[in-house]
Amino acid sequence: MIPAVRTSGLRKEFRLGWGRGRVLALAGLDLEVGRGEVFGLLGPNGSGKSTAMKMILGLLRPTSGLAEVCGDAAGTLAARRRIGFLPENPYFPSFLCGAELVRYYGKLTGMDGKALERRVEELLALVRLGGEAGRRPLRTYSKGMLQRIGLAGALVSDPEIVMLDEPTAGVDPAGSREIRDLIRSLKQAGKTVVFSSHLLEQVEDVADRVVILHRGEKLREGRLEELLTLTGEWQVRTAGLGEAPRRELREWLRERGAKILQEGAPRERLEEYYLRNLPEGETR
Amino acid sequence: MTAAWRRIRAVAANTFLEAVRQKVFAVLLVFGLVLLGGANYFAEFSFQEQFKFLKDLGYAAISLTGLLVGLLGAAQLIPAEIERRTILTALCRPLRRWEFVVGKYLGLVALLAVMLVLMAAVFWGVLFWKELQLTGIEAGDAAAVEAIRGEARDPRLWQAFLLIAAKLFVVSGLAVFFSTVATSTTFVVAMTLMVYLIGHLQGVAREQWLESGEALGWGLRVFLAAVTLFVPDFNAYSLIDEIVAGNNLAWRATLEVLAYSVVYVGVLLVAASWVFEGRDL
Repeated sequence: MIPAVRTSGLRKEFRLGWGRGRVLALAGLDLEVGRGEVFGLLGPNGSGKSTAMKMILGLLRPTSGLAEVCGDAAGTLAARRRIGFLPENPYFPSFLCGAELVRYYGKLTGMDGKALERRVEELLALVRLGGEAGRRPLRTYSKGMLQRIGLAGALVSDPEIVMLDEPTAGVDPAGSREIRDLIRSLKQAGKTVVFSSHLLEQVEDVADRVVILHRGEKLREGRLEELLTLTGEWQVRTAGLGEAPRRELREWLRERGAKILQEGAPRERLEEYYLRNLPEGETR
Repeated sequence: MTAAWRRIRAVAANTFLEAVRQKVFAVLLVFGLVLLGGANYFAEFSFQEQFKFLKDLGYAAISLTGLLVGLLGAAQLIPAEIERRTILTALCRPLRRWEFVVGKYLGLVALLAVMLVLMAAVFWGVLFWKELQLTGIEAGDAAAVEAIRGEARDPRLWQAFLLIAAKLFVVSGLAVFFSTVATSTTFVVAMTLMVYLIGHLQGVAREQWLESGEALGWGLRVFLAAVTLFVPDFNAYSLIDEIVAGNNLAWRATLEVLAYSVVYVGVLLVAASWVFEGRDL
């Protein structure tokens, strides 16, 4: 099956101008993202995540190498028809309201008439910006609302592939959880999601596979369970185990030569705790 | 309607909407309209001189306002979109870059057209008001009344408006071209103004280039050739002055200038699209 996204030797050098030479942003990236996969691009600032995404979208021209989207060369209309994109820290035309923005993006993808109007309403409801919120000018939107309207814009043409550059950056925990839930629902709907993030816990939450980039080079790539599973160690989590059976268990393990690396009551993740303690309406 | 035209129309409509919702353009329009309306109160001469004054000032006000709107509007088209990164969310869609450039230009042209129509309406209102005033004063003199009506309802005004519109559309085309090369709005405004000013001397440069032969150094000849070949001849639009002076202007001359403008804008948009096609965003 043709992968959703494929890059081969994808390289990008930026000219600094005025004879100051070139800077390497991406050094020959080889990548394949399968259809229906949630794929995370990880790496610090300047690692080449956004550059790779922009080349897949055809916004940047590669210095060498190639990028393909479902078999079509990146940047062609056929390739771009398959992709919805949300950039990092998205800025939208502030003179528009939420509904106008989604409508505009719909028209750019060739949609029109009642079908577009229905889609706009559907997406505004999906990102919880229906009704009055959708008619407010974008300059009055919070960071989280902008991110959500950006997502609606990315999804307007019902693309096969959704590319999200730092989708949860600057969004509060509840908003971030919503975006991750949306990514999961996109996966359930059979979409391919390629996203980048600095927030590793959040990537872990939703990604099937990740690639780690550093200074334009690929450091690691693989399925999360392969990369994160500590082979040679074992962990058991139980409930209702009193102090006496715990002592016996420790003894039993020592007798069999097992070294206890960690023991104690497990901790909840702060995000889980925070979201659990917010009033119901705030989290959904 | 083709898919490409639908996308161009969407970009143009968005560009127009953006401009309309910006206060600066409304302020410029009000400035132009006040200037036109106020012109009525400055004239205290013979009726021929009053009409000449009104037309002179009217065309100047429309040209100046249009030039400012065109320059500011075009300067914001692409550099501002790149700076704000709003361009990424547009061009990641199935929208060709030339469609984006043409759409942006057409949006700006639509804005200019609306402004010109509004200003033309006010201009004609002022002329009509002047006609009513002066025919009231000269009621007893049938020949004078006829001459006043002739001045106020002069069909050559249409020619003048078409020439102003064509000039502004060419200036906007220039600004769009520079906006595809530039990274800052200041650069776009400065370059467009520079070419606009040089364009008024294009005729002189052309004459020098064609007639100088070997008398000039090669560097100067290359410069004159570049000005002649690449810079639009803005003096071609000074036919408006003939109309203000009351001279007859053949429609053929006007149509020639309009055709020149269409070709020039076409070349500019093709060049702008070509430059923009290879640009990293």
